[in-house]
Amino acid sequence: MSDFVTQRRSFLAGPRFARWGGPSAVLGGGFLGLAARVIVVAVVPATPGDFPLATLIVNLSGSLLLGLYLARRERAVAARWSLQFWAIGALGSFTTFSTFSLEVFQLIDVGRAGIAAGYVVASTLGGLAAAVLGSRVGSIGR
Amino acid sequence: MTLLVTAAAGSIGALARYLLSGTVQRRTGSQMPIGTAVVNLTGALALGLVVGATALPSVLTLAGVGFIGGFTTFSTWMVETMRLGFLPRPTLRSMLNLVVMPTLGVMLAGVGYYLTS
Repeated sequence: MSDFVTQRRSFLAGPRFARWGGPSAVLGGGFLGLAARVIVVAVVPATPGDFPLATLIVNLSGSLLLGLYLARRERAVAARWSLQFWAIGALGSFTTFSTFSLEVFQLIDVGRAGIAAGYVVASTLGGLAAAVLGSRVGSIGR
Repeated sequence: MTLLVTAAAGSIGALARYLLSGTVQRRTGSQMPIGTAVVNLTGALALGLVVGATALPSVLTLAGVGFIGGFTTFSTWMVETMRLGFLPRPTLRSMLNLVVMPTLGVMLAGVGYYLTS
């Protein structure tokens, strides 16, 4: 019994976890983040050729949360796998660059260049503002 | 069920992103976030290719939303842009990262779409 406990502990601290723990955490976080995005996309109403509100919501909220997470993490002792799970896996998958790019192309393709431009500006400047805001809020009290 | 399978595809995409962007970033040793740029731009091209090639909902959901969605990331791009120095005054690097990425991404998505449609 005590051997089992010791072995388990040494696994979490040992080189095998360093090798497999990171990728496993990314897998788990990626699963969670993607599932959350699918739910948001299902809930937010969407019309083809219209402003892609669902993607904007996940991208801005994901940028906010990542800024917040990274700022909080600098202050606290966090587990090794926490960064891979939350920042790289979950928030990485929750947000999407590929869908953003394709939506802009499709809007231009159907002649809605004005909406496309507005969407690009809202995503880039909005995303940056969200990351900065999250970072600022996460740094409060330092 | 669709949700679980899509999320599983997304987790594999996230793992591929983790491995590829890390490798690219280490190999180049650049101060610019090249690793994220490579995964995001190849992902935009790949999504254009898939959407041009098929209209099957199952393929679009599994490959497009799932795998490629997990493979590319918006949040990391934004935080990296911020860390290149955006406040109090934007640096050239951060401006470049903010402007060049969507320009190339939209172009590549379009190229991919026209190649297969």
